[in-house]
Amino acid sequence: MSDSPAAVLEVRGLVKQFPGVRALDGVDLDVRPGEVHCLLGPNGAGKSTLIKCVSGAVEPTEGEILLGGEPLPTGDPAASLGLGVATIYQELDLVEDLTVAQSVFLAHEPRRGPFLDLQKMSRDTAALLARLGHEGISPRSRVSRLRPAAQQVVSIARALSHDVRVLIMDEPSAILDEGEIETLFGVVRRLTADGVGVIYITHRLDEIRRIGDRVTVLADGRTAGTGLPASTPTDRLVELMVGRIVERLYPERPRGAGEVVLEVRGLRRLPEVRGVSLEVRAGEVVGLGGLVGSGRTELLRLIYGMETPDEGEVWVGGEKLPPNRPDKAIAAGLGLAPEDRKSQGLLLDWSQTKNVSLADLGRFQRGLLNVRAERVAAREHLRSLRTVPDDAERIVRELSGGNQQKVVLARWLLRSCRVLLLDEPTRGVDVATKAELYRVITDLARDGLAVLVVSSELEELVGICSRVLVMREGELVFEVDGAQASERELLRHAVAPTDSADFVEEVR
Amino acid sequence: MTTAPEAAPVEKGTEDASGTGRRQLLGVGLQEYTLVGVVVVLFVVGAILKPDSFPTADNVRNMLTQASVVGVLAIGMTFVIATAGIDLSVGSMLAAAGMAGGVLVDPEGSTLVFILGAVVFATILGTVNATAIAYGRVVPFIATLAMFSIGRGVALLLNDKLPVSLLDLNGGSFGDPAPFSLLWFGTGRIFGIPVSVYVFLGITIIGWLLLNRTRYGRYVVAVGGNREAAKIAGVPVRRTIFSVYVLSGLLAGVAAVLLCSRLASASPVSGNLYELDAIGAVVIGGTSLAGGRATIVGTFLGVLTFALIFSLMTQLNLSTEVQQVTKGGIVLGAVLLQRPEARL
Repeated sequence: MSDSPAAVLEVRGLVKQFPGVRALDGVDLDVRPGEVHCLLGPNGAGKSTLIKCVSGAVEPTEGEILLGGEPLPTGDPAASLGLGVATIYQELDLVEDLTVAQSVFLAHEPRRGPFLDLQKMSRDTAALLARLGHEGISPRSRVSRLRPAAQQVVSIARALSHDVRVLIMDEPSAILDEGEIETLFGVVRRLTADGVGVIYITHRLDEIRRIGDRVTVLADGRTAGTGLPASTPTDRLVELMVGRIVERLYPERPRGAGEVVLEVRGLRRLPEVRGVSLEVRAGEVVGLGGLVGSGRTELLRLIYGMETPDEGEVWVGGEKLPPNRPDKAIAAGLGLAPEDRKSQGLLLDWSQTKNVSLADLGRFQRGLLNVRAERVAAREHLRSLRTVPDDAERIVRELSGGNQQKVVLARWLLRSCRVLLLDEPTRGVDVATKAELYRVITDLARDGLAVLVVSSELEELVGICSRVLVMREGELVFEVDGAQASERELLRHAVAPTDSADFVEEVR
Repeated sequence: MTTAPEAAPVEKGTEDASGTGRRQLLGVGLQEYTLVGVVVVLFVVGAILKPDSFPTADNVRNMLTQASVVGVLAIGMTFVIATAGIDLSVGSMLAAAGMAGGVLVDPEGSTLVFILGAVVFATILGTVNATAIAYGRVVPFIATLAMFSIGRGVALLLNDKLPVSLLDLNGGSFGDPAPFSLLWFGTGRIFGIPVSVYVFLGITIIGWLLLNRTRYGRYVVAVGGNREAAKIAGVPVRRTIFSVYVLSGLLAGVAAVLLCSRLASASPVSGNLYELDAIGAVVIGGTSLAGGRATIVGTFLGVLTFALIFSLMTQLNLSTEVQQVTKGGIVLGAVLLQRPEARL
């Protein structure tokens, strides 16, 4: 830990004691001007608490935070912001109905007398966007009409509308696809060139090498390693995070050669899905890559019967599914783990047991429900996936993202489904849990399930899939054997053939 | 959490002993225990303030008999609110059902005809609500507000705004109603307990089993808790929503039978504002207005709480106007108390 005198932000021995939990237990961190300092750690390691302490949302119990050598007042978000510490949260927190300019200057609108100075607002917004290299975004367009990446840029512009010295970015790439991430990195590089210090929280190890200068690893509220060079080997970082050596991130990929279980013929629902045909065999994991908005999620929902197709058919095990009937799809053997576990996959206030059994209650009902049999069966499947905590009555809201995903998977195991549709199964999940989920998914395929996985992380598609398909603008444009797939090639097919030069146009 | 309880299947409910906040066995949580306390306290307060008239067998019988009408409505309302819906029309459906049964049956006709007429008619009205909401996609508040007006209008139209006497259905007299005469349901007793209280208790138990021990009950709460997640898990969302409004109508018919049998007549202006009593009892009981959490035990205790409060106020000679203000205030307070939980 080199005490660089030039550090713009220094955190020394930070402790945060919550009732019953010591969220931070002595954390050190120094951020230099113009660097991207990556913050890494499993869920619950204290990353959020750390940034909340720095941004003033949470008051630390012990320790000090220095900004440019001066102590930063703690527990005062307005003061932190005023002194130049801005935060961009993972979930986009823009008001969708406002215009870009209104969003950027929300709560500190420039005034002329008692009135808003709309011209200045518009002009300054345009200048900020230009500074970020996104002149293409109009200050007058509504936020709701921008793509996620562009909304992200607006969030950053809002942070810059204060005089920012340290910018904290909490998993900014989580909702972006590869092309958009490149845009984000472009923006980050411009900021660091201006001397802004960036704290960049991520779960994607590849991003550290692509954008980071140094890395700090948190584990159990402590700094397991701080100020490491971005070139630190991945294995070493994972080891620091989980406190032990993880053998392999990706298990052996399944080589499915069973019969065709899922067959999709000419499925179309304009404008998102423009005629897709595909087959998935028992025992294989088929990856579906592509940019966000390429129609991947919509395709899964069409297959599952959540939407009515304009045209096309879905066959499962030689049986044609009626449109718009998820219950029939389930009866035929389909199971869906949706993109957003919390809002689409689970009843958060229900126990693990009840969430697992919901799709297969009929088997426990002989007149009345046999809740004991229900609990035993649910527990068996939860245990087989090693869900933590091992308490089937625990409310699902209290589980980590990875364990919530396991609850969804346990539901379909209980139902003995034949085809699993997984939409972003590892989003927001830390590396150690990701490795576990990869093993679960590939094991299921080896047990004879057909698995179709949508993911924005091309690396994981390359890592676990038997075959990878790429979708672009509602059509399948590329197919490759998993063992031969490369991220670069997939990305090339995922973005428009005219290359990503027209990205700014699309943003508009 | 320990894994030990699994090894001891001998005692009933051992699985509930592991860990904190277990409330799986009866669907009973903190709020229900609190309500038991409230009921006891109210009773004690009543006994202190009016030692001669409040804690008497007669008064308790009276309270329970009156509570059974709203109680039956509240059980149906619990299912509706569990789906994040609302039924504002139960009072009007009740009046219309009583009038329909009364007009249908001859003055000295069969009790069974009256009961069937009332229950079937209320079920039809409930089905109209259900169709509008589940298939017409009308917001429950608006659909049942319309039925609130329609039901009352129908009740007034059926006998030219006049009540119908039901005194002579299957014979008997007020003092000594023949078994299974209509009066018997309202004023008869078995082992000293009014028949209508048995009906209320029976419906409460069936409601509890339906909500907590059947697939259907799970579906109802799942639909209220997260409609999208329920659909993805294969729950027939529309059919489930449809069913709760039919059920609410059916129970309004049962409540009509209880009320008419007690008054020995059907009145087109009966059941006024009963929807508020029913909703109030459900909310006080702890069922979430946002859906996804429902408790029949809580509703039952909520009904008792309301009954005690208003019996006490009546005995203290407080006017109905004051009671009305209090009622509204309690419901508002109960909803406000729910909020912090909803935020978690």
